[in-house]
Amino acid sequence: MTTTVELDPPPTAAPAAATGGGGGHGLLRYLVVRFLLIIPTVLVLVSVVFLLMRVAGNPITSAFGDRLTQAQLHAKLVQAGYERPLLSQYLDYLRGIATGNFGRTATDDTPVSQVLLTYGAATLELACYALFVAVLIGVPLGMVAARYRDRAPDVVLRLGAILSYATPVFFVGLLLKLVFAVWLGWLPDNGRAGIDVQLYLENQSSTTGVYLVDALRSGNGAAVEDVLRHAVLPGITLGLLVAGVLLRLVRTNLIGTLSTDYVEAARSRGVGGFRLISRHAARPALIPVITVMGLQIAGLLGGAVLTETTFEWKGLGYELAHYLTVRDYAAVQGIVALFAVIVAVTNFLVDVLAALIDPRVRY
Amino acid sequence: MNSPSTNTFSTDAFSADAFSAGPNGHRTRGRRGLSVLSLGAATLLALTACTSERSGTGAAAPGSGSPTKTVTIGTTDQVVSLDPAGSWDAGSGAIETEVYATLLSTRDGTTDVTPDLAASIELTSPKQYTVTLKPGLTFANGDPLTSADVKFSFDRQLRIADPNGPSPLLYDLASTAAPTPDTVVFTLKAANDSLFPQVLTTQAGIIVDHKVFPADKVLDDTSIVAAKPWDGQYAVTSYAKNSLATFTANSAYKGQLGTPKTSNIQLKYYTDASNLKLDVQQGAVDVVYRTLSIPDLESLTGKNGITVHTGSGNGIRFIVFDLKTQPYGSKTPQADPAKALAVREAVADSVDREQLAQQVYKNTYQPLYSSVPQGIAGATESLKPLYGDKQGGPSTAAAARVLSAAGVKTPVTLNLEYNTDHYGSSSTDEYALIKNQLESTGLFKVNLQSTLWSQYGTERVADQFPLYQLGWYADYLDADDYLSSFFAASSWVSNGYQDPAVDKLIAQEETEADPAKRVAEIEEIQDKVALTLPIIPLLQGSTAIVTRGGIGGVPATLTSAYVFRWADLTKS
Repeated sequence: MTTTVELDPPPTAAPAAATGGGGGHGLLRYLVVRFLLIIPTVLVLVSVVFLLMRVAGNPITSAFGDRLTQAQLHAKLVQAGYERPLLSQYLDYLRGIATGNFGRTATDDTPVSQVLLTYGAATLELACYALFVAVLIGVPLGMVAARYRDRAPDVVLRLGAILSYATPVFFVGLLLKLVFAVWLGWLPDNGRAGIDVQLYLENQSSTTGVYLVDALRSGNGAAVEDVLRHAVLPGITLGLLVAGVLLRLVRTNLIGTLSTDYVEAARSRGVGGFRLISRHAARPALIPVITVMGLQIAGLLGGAVLTETTFEWKGLGYELAHYLTVRDYAAVQGIVALFAVIVAVTNFLVDVLAALIDPRVRY
Repeated sequence: MNSPSTNTFSTDAFSADAFSAGPNGHRTRGRRGLSVLSLGAATLLALTACTSERSGTGAAAPGSGSPTKTVTIGTTDQVVSLDPAGSWDAGSGAIETEVYATLLSTRDGTTDVTPDLAASIELTSPKQYTVTLKPGLTFANGDPLTSADVKFSFDRQLRIADPNGPSPLLYDLASTAAPTPDTVVFTLKAANDSLFPQVLTTQAGIIVDHKVFPADKVLDDTSIVAAKPWDGQYAVTSYAKNSLATFTANSAYKGQLGTPKTSNIQLKYYTDASNLKLDVQQGAVDVVYRTLSIPDLESLTGKNGITVHTGSGNGIRFIVFDLKTQPYGSKTPQADPAKALAVREAVADSVDREQLAQQVYKNTYQPLYSSVPQGIAGATESLKPLYGDKQGGPSTAAAARVLSAAGVKTPVTLNLEYNTDHYGSSSTDEYALIKNQLESTGLFKVNLQSTLWSQYGTERVADQFPLYQLGWYADYLDADDYLSSFFAASSWVSNGYQDPAVDKLIAQEETEADPAKRVAEIEEIQDKVALTLPIIPLLQGSTAIVTRGGIGGVPATLTSAYVFRWADLTKS
């Protein structure tokens, strides 16, 4: 370890690879191993989901309760393949997932993949807003907390962080709604857009399902504004869930980095305050944050269920809550399996990102 | 993964310099300053590439304004399917009754059945109804609506017999024939079935386009909306399932209900009733139909610019006795019919319906003294003069007398089951109060338990619950729907009750051509079952519609015969 490396670590993998040294091969090997690890991870996750869903009985019996005669129930079970041995169902289920076939919902016979496509964009959009809010709040406030370590601002921010991830997300949502929608009337209290804008966006010739993108593509300023206004409260609600974690992580890492030799060297040269943090300590301190952010995706998806329900945000979380209510475990299984895949893939992407930023990760 | 662009993006997004303040003119640092935004933008741009094509309906740009008044209705109901063969629920029915038509329908707050798509209906033989269609009927897509479509619709319902569908209502239909393009002949299994015209008004009687719907399976919503097979007062113009749907008046409709007073309707779906309440308060929604919570309705009542219309509904709530497993029931070790009846009578003497209606349901529900709710032709209050204080109130003395006379040792232990997730959140309060009412007499010890709906239905018909909660909403507004379903030998309740005399009376009223005679028979059935009490009616539900100022077309007081139709709504 040299001072040069610490002060100015290689910004990307490209220069290292270009040197023709072992860095490029290391990166490739690392990426391949990480990619291959997705397979067992997803396999374990979807298997757990499959087995947990079976603990509650089979999806057909759960969904239809006593509404079917024994003959009708049997016919339904045969049609859906639930009368077969568990192992056979399991293998079919895995085959289906491998080909993007998540089965059909028990209650309305819709392909689960269609549900995932229809509502996935809304959840993705909400997750993006939440991540944006989390980064916007968590990183700078984490830096402030580190800068004023153990002083009043730090104590206040740490308390705030604990509150933000300890408070139930629906409570935060209801509180924000009460203050900003009901009392002050500044923001809409629910939905992804006003009715007119929703109709306008959904009737464009081509859509992504991500309202902000569709509104931007339409070039309609009123639509963009409406979509953003509707995004504020749910975005903050879900974002706060992660912002607290992020704040504490940034603070801890920064405090650690600020005590390293190369930062001390910078300090001895007269660099201080936020300049010391931003120019010399922030980058190495933020690398582990990226990894943790990947893990937070799972928390975001979990939080999305309550946030979407609180704000009538018609995404996968909202649908998951609906299908749980009607005990459509076939649909629940599909949505949760997709969540599992998203978490695994996101963690892979985060690993890739961390490896590209910090070559030490590859070895 | 080593492409320059990827590397540049990754570095910039998370570099330390991204957080530096102060002026700089360096290209890289400039990008770094926007790193967080660029992350979001990159995600959005990636999504932009993944576009899906949709069929546009030419929705106006927001803010462009529209001269046409649109009524926005909010609901917490959810749609199962737009295919009439695949749904038999309130959410699907709300749309289906507006966009599809039936041969007959009811109108103007009455239970009278009158021709809709039909020009006439006639009982041409004891087992045959002949229907003549109005001339020139078409679907919104231009397809002619003929007797072939009618035959197809009924054959299809019976063939598919989807567990979510209303085909059980067609229990008496043997076959449908279409001898001419405008004539349909229904052949029934029983002679003189006076109820069949009522069945024709239900979701089971919806006429669908045979060129659009497959004969043997339920069609998905997307395909239905695309094919425009509408023959009702409205046509769907855009449809996002359980999110937002829009409708416009269907000019092809030529039925009795006429042209809608408001051409454009928007239907917005909510999961959380409090969001719906907020939106009606703030003016995002003009009308709320199903369902706000009772406290929400209470808080909206009297609010400036908002009207809460309430009245009797046709939903009922009652306690069922499993005659096999109730105390002294036929399959218990102490089986004793006289003592079992005494227990049922004592429970009927002890429950205070007024208190339940007032305390739990804030008077949005009404006490019910027969299984047939008030407002339905033939409804009586048979239990009122028989039990409690004989005026509808409870009487501990009467309950004690009947138990003592039968030699029943007190306190009697009652295992009472209720459901927490099917009959609304107030069920818990309702049954806690019932337990309190029964135990306060000193005559009963109540073990109150609850079961989720998914197990509830299976366990109740397996005689697992000696006493249990049930509720009922009418398929069609006729007393028979509240009698045969509970007291016929093959009843849905299936609690072991069977009385050949009642069975005979039910068969009589179902085929009675003389209306006065039929009412007498219906009343006699209610009087008979009131004496044996296989169920104890408790409450009659209410209908509630909330409207904002400027919305007309909803009667100030709703009756149980009131049918909510969008076409009646006006907006000033």
